[in-house]
Amino acid sequence: MIYIPFFLAQRNMRTRWGRTLLTLLGIVLGVAVVLAIQMTNQSTLDSIRQVFDQATGQASLVVVPANRGADKLEEEALFRAEKFEGVLAAAPSVRVQTLLASEAKSWQIAFSMNGIAAGNVLVLYGVDPDLDAQVRVYKLSAGRMPLAGEYEAILPEKFAAEKKLSLGDELDILTPSGSDHLEIVGLLTDEGVALLNDGVVAFAPLQVVQDLFGMGSGIDEISLRLESAISEDPAALASFKNRLNERVGRDAEVIYPAARGQLVSQMMATYQLGLSFFSIIAVFVGAFLIYNTFSMTIVERTREIGMLRAVGMSRWGVIRMVLAEAVMLSSVGSLLGIATGIVLARGLMQLVSEVIIPVENLARVPAQGLAQSLGVGVGVTLGAALIPAVQAARISPLEALRVRTRSIERVQAAVWLSGIALLIIGRVSLYHIAWPAEIRFSAGSTSILLTLLGATLTVALASGWLERLTRPLAAAIYRREGALGSANVRRSVSRTALTVASLMVALTMIISINSLAYSFKEDMTAWIVNALGGDLYVRSPITMRDSFARLLASVDGVQFVTPTRIMLVRAGQRSLPNDQSVGDTIVLNAIDPATFRQIGDMEFAAGQGDTQANWRRLEEGNAIFISNVVADRYQLDQGDTLYLHTRRGEKGFYIAGVVMDFTGQGLVVYSTYIDLQRWFGESGADRFTIKAAQGYSIAAVAEEIKARYQQRRNINVQTTEEFKDSILNLMEQSFRLFDVLNLIGVIIGALGVINTLTMNVMERQREIGGLRSLGMTRRQVLRMVLAEAQALGIMGGIYGLGFGYAIAHVMILGTNMMVGYDLEFLFTAQPYLVGALIALVVVQIAAIYPARQAARINIVKAIKYE
Amino acid sequence: MGEVAVTALNGVDFAVERGEFVAIMGPSGSGKSTLLHLLGGLDSPTSGEVILAGQALSQLSDDQITRFRRQKIGFIFQFYNLLPTLTAAENVVLPLLIDGRPAAEYKARLQVLLSLVGLEDRASHLPDQLSGGQQQRVAIARAFINDPEIVLADEPTGNLDSRSGKSILDLLRKACRELEATIIIVTHDPSAASYADRVVFLKDGQIVHHLNNGAEGISVNKIVEVMASLEL
Repeated sequence: MIYIPFFLAQRNMRTRWGRTLLTLLGIVLGVAVVLAIQMTNQSTLDSIRQVFDQATGQASLVVVPANRGADKLEEEALFRAEKFEGVLAAAPSVRVQTLLASEAKSWQIAFSMNGIAAGNVLVLYGVDPDLDAQVRVYKLSAGRMPLAGEYEAILPEKFAAEKKLSLGDELDILTPSGSDHLEIVGLLTDEGVALLNDGVVAFAPLQVVQDLFGMGSGIDEISLRLESAISEDPAALASFKNRLNERVGRDAEVIYPAARGQLVSQMMATYQLGLSFFSIIAVFVGAFLIYNTFSMTIVERTREIGMLRAVGMSRWGVIRMVLAEAVMLSSVGSLLGIATGIVLARGLMQLVSEVIIPVENLARVPAQGLAQSLGVGVGVTLGAALIPAVQAARISPLEALRVRTRSIERVQAAVWLSGIALLIIGRVSLYHIAWPAEIRFSAGSTSILLTLLGATLTVALASGWLERLTRPLAAAIYRREGALGSANVRRSVSRTALTVASLMVALTMIISINSLAYSFKEDMTAWIVNALGGDLYVRSPITMRDSFARLLASVDGVQFVTPTRIMLVRAGQRSLPNDQSVGDTIVLNAIDPATFRQIGDMEFAAGQGDTQANWRRLEEGNAIFISNVVADRYQLDQGDTLYLHTRRGEKGFYIAGVVMDFTGQGLVVYSTYIDLQRWFGESGADRFTIKAAQGYSIAAVAEEIKARYQQRRNINVQTTEEFKDSILNLMEQSFRLFDVLNLIGVIIGALGVINTLTMNVMERQREIGGLRSLGMTRRQVLRMVLAEAQALGIMGGIYGLGFGYAIAHVMILGTNMMVGYDLEFLFTAQPYLVGALIALVVVQIAAIYPARQAARINIVKAIKYE
Repeated sequence: MGEVAVTALNGVDFAVERGEFVAIMGPSGSGKSTLLHLLGGLDSPTSGEVILAGQALSQLSDDQITRFRRQKIGFIFQFYNLLPTLTAAENVVLPLLIDGRPAAEYKARLQVLLSLVGLEDRASHLPDQLSGGQQQRVAIARAFINDPEIVLADEPTGNLDSRSGKSILDLLRKACRELEATIIIVTHDPSAASYADRVVFLKDGQIVHHLNNGAEGISVNKIVEVMASLEL
């Protein structure tokens, strides 16, 4: 027995294949974007976790110094850990960054969203070969594990092949005293520990590495393998961790291995938020297209539906017929969308790999992402088709018997009043409600969507007088027929509103995202210029001695030199918010205020008082500057105290000022060298910033420094211009991702225009036939339709530019609230010009096809057309 | 202008016998289409009652009327109103498809009707592959597929040339005879009305004259004469 709703629906889809394809495209794009973003986010997080999982292998817990990044664990901690009941193996290790001696000259800095990273640095682990094999995965393809105390090493076979190294060769590496070599006794397959640091890693006996790098008996971490009864029971593991924490002493801390991925995960969070918001917008725009298409199908089939009602189809039968079409379209569209999404995801992951972290698992489709995108595809389509279905059901059977032209749709007051109400609600929600942090993103996204929906509903009211405003332009460009065409947009208010809305959303996203990018760029540039200052940076893979500053200062053309030491520290328990139990990893920049200020300055946040006084307070000691991100995260301000884990326990530092900083996604503090030594036991510099003297060429000074010191000290010299360009380039790449998604929005907007105009032409065939019979030429008909498109484009442009400006403000406000930055809205004309171009030119291009269809109408057929 | 109440029909008392072929005539605005809509349950009277096969339509809900239409009434429209996505055969059985009847139930009747309208060899054609006359034949077959109590035709020849129109009217006459169908057509064409057993003349919403005849129909001249006398 035929199930009539599906039977009629599939026939309709087949016959009106153009309309079917349009609707499918909307569904496919919406589903593809949602899935691609889900996959990208999931794969990126997986990659981060995988890197750290590979490092930990079978280790369930890790013992690290309480003040990570500065201090080392002593043997006492190892002794206590290995003797603790329940521990099967306690494997100590150290980790250093070095270079192959052969690559020292070509050493360079690389940039990613994680911050500055060393480009070709080799990570060398010092391990107890027997113990470490019990906690981490070592798979040898050749050779053997190194012997304890011997100058031997193993490395991944892929890395060895790249560097043309084989078993038995010498691995020459840089050390603080120059260089040394280790014999390669084993090669690792491409799994387990060989995946660390993207495969640029080597393993040598613990004592050997400690000797080579002057670490004494210090240990960086102890990986613990536990009894299965503890490791496989989360509650037991948590209890064990707490007890062991008390045992290992205050200078050590027991953490879960996953915690080490925290810093990168933090950095990913904001990027993922942006992508997620975009997927919501894509769905919103896709829904518009689907609703538009279904509405038009109903209009097209009014007489047909009236006939079905006349011959006995019930209202429910009509609804079922329309929804059956929606179900079939959504099923096919969702499947195609998933396939498209996987392809799109590969592209996005490639972009993310360049910008953030290498992403593996390019083909893996997360179950949750799949379910979500299927839900979106089916749910949104059914939702978007529901109103047209109900409208179809209301078509009277008398429609089948009437011969009439569609009259001008009256604007219902309820519609535009609802629009104004939604605009007010959106504004109040965005600007006047302090949403809790955990729902801030959802509330913000919803508020923006409500604002856009409200704007759509007001088109019903505004289209009349907007069209009157634009009509003179239509007449000027397209002559008398232009005025006729322009006036046509007022005939179907709902259709015009939807088309204008699609364009509005596309333009709004382009303008707001580009404005956000511009503000970001300008702020970052100002920060680079002000805060970083200087003309040259001198860096080394190995911490440089303080005394090197004097040598640099002696070079002709060098006016000032200032050192910076960068290390990771952790926020103390007393500073943590109530809902946080583990402190964030924060980047600590130790500076020498006196020389720092000779070269540059900090960019203080608003309301920080006298900057001279701030610097004086910092120099007094036991004080820090914090970034605005840290200030926002810990709800701190100037004059408060931030607790940090130090070598001497948790220490409160007076906050002398809040500054702008984009390093490490903003989680940055600045202290002095005196405090660095006093509290963290560290010295040396990771970077020297140099100011060239007047009259000296920066390039020449750089060459002189390289000539004197590059070979001996394996330094990298880079101008600040190059550094600035690298960071800005990175930022451009990051926002390139959103350009791709913006393009999808524009395509959907253009499809909406094609849809509307095609429908309008179809509805008015008789009228157009009549005009042609009265003497209107084909060219004039073409101009008439193009004028109609122009009116739609201008309306969409006005709304898009206006709301783009408003939403740009909202996005900056949102970014500041969620990430803690202090970006300022800066106007730039470029996105508005692009928006205007799309509204005027792209829309006209989209109108060419329906305009030509109208021009080609056969007069006789058209007059007979019903 | 504001909305103005228009009385389409006023005091119309009208009865049709089973197997009768009735034509309703009148100028534009006389209320003939409105009368047809009321008879088919497509519209409801402000006052009065429409009783079809013993059922008062005003007592039925919207769903009940819909089902009643599906099962008891056949419609023929001026502009055929075939579904462009269905073949001729599928258009014919559309009311039964909507009613959920299995193919086995109507296969034989379909063949009878296609034969009656002379479209056996066009059964698998789509509407745009048929001429206007052929499309109207499909519409006629559709109107009869559910063995209706009554068939209502609104200007069935209004969109056809005279030859096609004649063949349609011959077909209706034939259907009335062979299927014992009750048919009411609305027309402004005297030659179309001449096929009927009875012609009812409407003017300004009221029945102003009846013209009866036997099985041979009514002469066109007679109809024109009546129309002239009534200044229609």
